[in-house]
Amino acid sequence: MALASRSARLALARLGRLGLGSCGAPRRGAYEWGVRSTRKPEPPPPDRVYEIPGLEPITYAGKMHFMPGLARPVFPPWDPDWTPPKFRRLPPLHEHPLYKDQACYVFHQRCRLLEGVKQALWLTKTKLIEGLPEKVLSLADDPRNHIENQDECVLNVIFHARLWHSTEDIPKRETYCPVIVDSLIQLCKSQILKHPSLARRICAQNNMLSTTWNRGFREGYPYPYPHTLYLLESANLRPHRFQPDQLRAKMILFAFGNALAQARLLYGNDTKVLEQPVVVQSVGTDGRVFQFLVLQLNTTDLASDEGVKNLVWIDSDQLLYEHFWCLPVVRRKAVVEPVGPTGFQPETFRKFLALYLHGAV
Amino acid sequence: MAAARCWRLVLRGSGLSLHTAAEAAVKAPEVTGPDVAAAPVARYPPVVASLTADSKAARQRRVERWQATVHAAKSVDEKLRILTKMQFMKYVVYPQTFALNADRWYQSFTKTVFLSGLPPPPPARPDTEPAPALDVVALRDAACDCLLQEHFFLRRKKRVPLYLEHEAITSPFLDQLVASLTGLLSARNPALANAALDCKRPVHFYWLRGEEIISHGHRKGRVDALRYQINDKPHNQIRISKQLPEFVPLDYSVPVEIPVMNCKPDKLPLFKRQYENTIFIGTKTADPHCYGHTQFHLLPDKLKRERLLKQNCADQIEVVFRANAIASLFAWTGAQAMYQGFWSEADVTRPFVSQGVITDGKYFSFFCYQLNTLALTAQADQNNPRKNICWGTQRCQ
Repeated sequence: MALASRSARLALARLGRLGLGSCGAPRRGAYEWGVRSTRKPEPPPPDRVYEIPGLEPITYAGKMHFMPGLARPVFPPWDPDWTPPKFRRLPPLHEHPLYKDQACYVFHQRCRLLEGVKQALWLTKTKLIEGLPEKVLSLADDPRNHIENQDECVLNVIFHARLWHSTEDIPKRETYCPVIVDSLIQLCKSQILKHPSLARRICAQNNMLSTTWNRGFREGYPYPYPHTLYLLESANLRPHRFQPDQLRAKMILFAFGNALAQARLLYGNDTKVLEQPVVVQSVGTDGRVFQFLVLQLNTTDLASDEGVKNLVWIDSDQLLYEHFWCLPVVRRKAVVEPVGPTGFQPETFRKFLALYLHGAV
Repeated sequence: MAAARCWRLVLRGSGLSLHTAAEAAVKAPEVTGPDVAAAPVARYPPVVASLTADSKAARQRRVERWQATVHAAKSVDEKLRILTKMQFMKYVVYPQTFALNADRWYQSFTKTVFLSGLPPPPPARPDTEPAPALDVVALRDAACDCLLQEHFFLRRKKRVPLYLEHEAITSPFLDQLVASLTGLLSARNPALANAALDCKRPVHFYWLRGEEIISHGHRKGRVDALRYQINDKPHNQIRISKQLPEFVPLDYSVPVEIPVMNCKPDKLPLFKRQYENTIFIGTKTADPHCYGHTQFHLLPDKLKRERLLKQNCADQIEVVFRANAIASLFAWTGAQAMYQGFWSEADVTRPFVSQGVITDGKYFSFFCYQLNTLALTAQADQNNPRKNICWGTQRCQ
């Protein structure tokens, strides 16, 4: 063979064994004679670093390139001061600067409590009372508080939200749920003429609340007291929406969070029984079924199981209407169901209005 | 009578009968009454143009037959359906546009006259009691509260970067401002208390104006109407159930001329597309709140003042506001008029009035629009002295 070095010959023989030529493509006469062996080629000898005590090794480190006769240098491990974020490893949990020994559980908008209302009540040391408090119910039944043509207005609102507000034939829940809640609040606000103190309210959407170590808004905010939370379940697919039980649990916990933040603001961070309980209301809906909730925070002492408990009044599963036909149901050329809601219950809106007017009347 | 029976059958079937006009001509003398009794009744059907020939007269007859179906439509939905069901290539007009001098173009498209300043106040009626004094301090406090809430007090999950500030802060601020001002002012204006407030609901309008010669295609050389469509999404709008009173009478003649553009709308730039023709005010026709009160528009980041100054277009800042106002308010008032059954051959009998507020978060401009005519097609506009009027202010901080 013309090639002198053994490794080059070995490499070519390897390529040749694969049936490929010198550039990696198969040769013209690609078939090769000879016994094919499945034995793997032996690994190359490792470059060992020899440590002989007492002798200083002479390495090729200074020459900046390999030199056959000199020893292999050992460099100190390189510590890059910056890693790209893609390759960064997090330190183990207990070395984090903010690590605390006691675990803190975070509750956010998408948390579904498995046990539902029972779990929420235990977490917030609250006692459940079915039905709304008498004060609110009396507001609901008082005819002076009713808007004129209330039923007609509410029916118009339902029509608008379910059918009229978009060019599609059948609007989706993601659009009609916020529209119906906004329209109902607007309808309640039309009572401003009768009760001018309603004008001293403002609405804040999608804000972040983190209690236990922060307050809801900054100091000096002119509307510091939370009045009512409106929680919307507006996902189009049923599995993405919360079950009514889980929605009620979420409402309890968020109302509790708001009330606790308010209590911390008013009375400081120490746990005690409050002389003046804090009341927060909440309405949860998916556009058709409403859940009403009034939470009264009596104590911030949540560590112990005895003592004064917080109270919550829940009115659950109030249908505003049974079903809404966007297109008329026609059987044998006769209109069986006209366009509109079926099973309309005006009572639900009266409770909604009562919750809205509570505190201002 | 045979003729009468034919006439009724034809009407019900909306048929392709060739004798529709003939029957009408025969029926008409009988209907008009005693003053025509002296005229002799024709004993043969009138000689009219063919319906299917390839001639201008035949085309005219077909157009008139189509217009007759629109006039005869029983409900507004049916009328709108007949007017918008045929789709052709049309210009898509964007109210919020970066095009230079877009307000002059839009004035010519919509036959609108622009007057600066606000419209003349209505004459004070002696029989009504004077309105209570406006509590400007309370209104200013409410506006400041809304501003501060969004910009400062509200805690958000993450700090909002500058390029997202517009949609994350200015947009909710405008929502809150509209809601709180509506609430505070409903004491003075009971219509506002019962108004419907829409957030980001679409407004669509489709109209025809002017003509062109088709330049290429199998219909090359023929005259074709120019079609326009506006698809707008105002940030907020207030709709009421009773119409706002007019600013000036319907046939008020304004000495100002409407700008006439001598080239095709493509030069604006304006592009043609073919898709669904929709006419929509924010709700469907069945809603009782079918008249408009005020629209609020938020200009996008792309058209903000600093960017225009950087592009050496300082004079276009006002143009952006005016073009947005003219296009959006024309679309809204036009759609309101069509919801009442008016269209280009059945022109409005009362003016339709709406207001608009256009802002970029810091500067506000106020506009009022009065729609006096919907007859913008070449055929209907031949003897139409009426013009639509838009009043507008300069931007105020």
